[in-house]
Amino acid sequence: MTAYIIRRFLHLIPTFLGATFLAFLVIQLAPGDFITRLEMDPSYDRAQIENFRRLFGLDQPFTVQYAKWLSGFLKGYLGLSLSYQTDVWHVLKPRILNSMVLVISSIIFIYVVSIPIGIYSALRQYSWGDRFWTTFAFFGLAVPNFFFALLMLYFALWLKDTFGHEIFPIGGMRSLYIDGADFFSAPKWRQWLDVAWHAVLPVIVSGTSGTAGLMRVMRTQMLETKMQDYVRTARAKGLSERVVIYKHILRNAVIPIIASIGFLLPDLFGGAGFVEVVMAWPGLTPLILDAIFSIDVYIIMGSISISVVLLMIGNLLSDLLLAWVDPRIRYS
Amino acid sequence: MSELNNSNTNLLEGLGEHSQSYWQKAWMRFRRHPFARWASVVLLILYSLALFADFVGPYPEAKSFRKLQFVPPTKVYFKTDDGKWTRPYVCKVERTRNKRTFKLEFKENCDEKFTIRFIVHGFPYKFLGFIPMDLHLLGGPWLTEEKAYLFLWGTDDFGRDMFSRIWFGARISLTIGILATIVALIIGITMGGISGYYAGTRVHIIRGFFRSPFKSSAMVIESDSGDVKGLFGSGALAEGWREAVHEQRVPAFLAGLVLQYAFWAAAAAILLSTMQGFLSITSGLERILAIAVFGGILGVMLWMLLFGRLAIDVDDLIMRTTEILAAIPGLFLLIILSGMLAQYDMPSSTRFLLVLTILAFVGWGGLARNIRGFVLQLREMEYAQAAKALGAGDIRVLFRHIIPGTLGYLIVVASLAIPGYILAESGLSFLGLGIQEPSSSWGLLLSKAQQIGISAIKQRPWLFIPGFFIFVSILTYNYLGDALRDALDPRAEH
Repeated sequence: MTAYIIRRFLHLIPTFLGATFLAFLVIQLAPGDFITRLEMDPSYDRAQIENFRRLFGLDQPFTVQYAKWLSGFLKGYLGLSLSYQTDVWHVLKPRILNSMVLVISSIIFIYVVSIPIGIYSALRQYSWGDRFWTTFAFFGLAVPNFFFALLMLYFALWLKDTFGHEIFPIGGMRSLYIDGADFFSAPKWRQWLDVAWHAVLPVIVSGTSGTAGLMRVMRTQMLETKMQDYVRTARAKGLSERVVIYKHILRNAVIPIIASIGFLLPDLFGGAGFVEVVMAWPGLTPLILDAIFSIDVYIIMGSISISVVLLMIGNLLSDLLLAWVDPRIRYS
Repeated sequence: MSELNNSNTNLLEGLGEHSQSYWQKAWMRFRRHPFARWASVVLLILYSLALFADFVGPYPEAKSFRKLQFVPPTKVYFKTDDGKWTRPYVCKVERTRNKRTFKLEFKENCDEKFTIRFIVHGFPYKFLGFIPMDLHLLGGPWLTEEKAYLFLWGTDDFGRDMFSRIWFGARISLTIGILATIVALIIGITMGGISGYYAGTRVHIIRGFFRSPFKSSAMVIESDSGDVKGLFGSGALAEGWREAVHEQRVPAFLAGLVLQYAFWAAAAAILLSTMQGFLSITSGLERILAIAVFGGILGVMLWMLLFGRLAIDVDDLIMRTTEILAAIPGLFLLIILSGMLAQYDMPSSTRFLLVLTILAFVGWGGLARNIRGFVLQLREMEYAQAAKALGAGDIRVLFRHIIPGTLGYLIVVASLAIPGYILAESGLSFLGLGIQEPSSSWGLLLSKAQQIGISAIKQRPWLFIPGFFIFVSILTYNYLGDALRDALDPRAEH
């Protein structure tokens, strides 16, 4: 097992290098660089601009810039943000945490909702409930995240106008004030509660398509497992229906669901990204969008590289989880 | 004798009635799917509306009324003031300023009634881009003379008719999905086909000149089998030369050799210049480590050139590439690619092609992986082996014998990929990185709803309409794909 993990890690290194190099290459496609904007500004003179170029390493060929960025990354230094005039990590850290709040709660939401519904649909196949959820799944897979987020905002506004106060917040991640006092001076649990309250609608939106997809997978899995010989054997032994369903069918059916986290994560990053933009959640995607227009190379590179690393960790964890859940899987 | 004939014809009749081809069965299964028919009908309607956008929409795509921004949908009346049914008519919308709140308001002035006529002459356009026409589904002389306006679904921030723009947007939104799928399939089939077909065959990147000093002499003698005096010393290069002479493909071998050295030289040049630049801006421990790393890489390259042998699997190369593409979250790769390229000025047709290319570039990896899996299976099939044994070339075997075997799968994949690309395009345009003004696409139209600010949404709900079109088109494509999968899956023998 340890050998397997080490091998996986070694395998990830070239992929990481390739992915970050690709991102760096893509950034080079832009017309000019960050400093080009300053050249338009008459308040900077030539010498100053050249100085800036040298300071940010923009006078070097891009392979050198990449090497410099990579060596910085290995030391844990992500470079200087050009537009924020500060260390990239200071800008990125809160954004990543905010995005992770959304992604992790969405994952939990997806699993908590889709597994029970999948089980229900499979046990009562072709019932009205099953048909309802099947339709729901098709709708959930088809509704674009950004559109759904807009509808949710509209819904929140409607609630506010109907009931006179905000039942759900209209965008944002935290209130400015809690009980009249500043947000950050409130007790920690009140802050958490406030963020959780703000997260309800974004999590529902970013989790819907994942829930819809996984619900279908769970249903199919349950239906397939139900037909297995060992289930018939279990019934023939005289086990109660409860035990057959939860111990023999469910435990085997749920295994691919756990593996699916690897497929789920990249989509979730994207889906949450749209929600962040529409619902004014201060996450990674709005930051990248801003950085793209100012060609803030190191902000983009920092966001991309960290999300690549997070994705890799997520995939690795799901593989390990799978090995832990399913004793049949052996890594030699 | 006659009896025999009789029974034979009976047999043949029976065969004709009961045996169906794969495609016939698939067609039957497709028709049995509960929603397939509805989905096809809805898609057909959407595509014809897109095709006849000029005819359906009363206004041209870029026609804007500067003073009529965010006009609510024009009410269509079917009854006169005294309650009698009449031909549908509209009233003129006038912009007024509220005296108390100073807000702009739009009021209807029903002094004059403007009857809506069907199939009338209106703004001129070129149907299919070259046939001059001026027929429109709805309108009247008052519409072209701008005495009154017909904004069935309101107007946007430039005072342009949403109803017309949605059908123009449908052209882009609905075709870009298909075109991007075709491009992605072409790349995916080529890459996946090569990857699967040549999996396990190694291509030499470099062969060394000399025998490796670490190789024990006994092994070398064994493998060299006597004939040590080649043209190029005694290393792996000589081996390759002997093989090439033996198999009579010397020109190909020499061309490959030139390519290899060119590649090696380019890599070394890039590495050296990078090292030079890097060392000029670093100092201390980092500098020492950098020298070690760069030196190590150059050393390995030199070693390979002199003594080594490096062969890679094309399959490995392509699959690693798809892994790299998959390692970056799809949305991020999409937005940085199109964000960087969106900063150039270009005509809208070029931008359309650009968005299409970006979508296909980001999406071909998954297709290639799946196709590779199929090709790996199919290349071992008897018919593929037979074609090879008959002397067919690799390309012929791959594209005439193996790829057609994946056709059913490809259709399913395509029908499921199209909604994904429609979604991606509208997402990009929604973020302002895809199709740009003055062109129109559903995502771009929907982005107006977000741009005006959250609290303004409530007053302008008609801006949501493009979102429903994105939703409906993806939904119907999903149903269609689902039906096709059920129909074309050879395991589904009901």
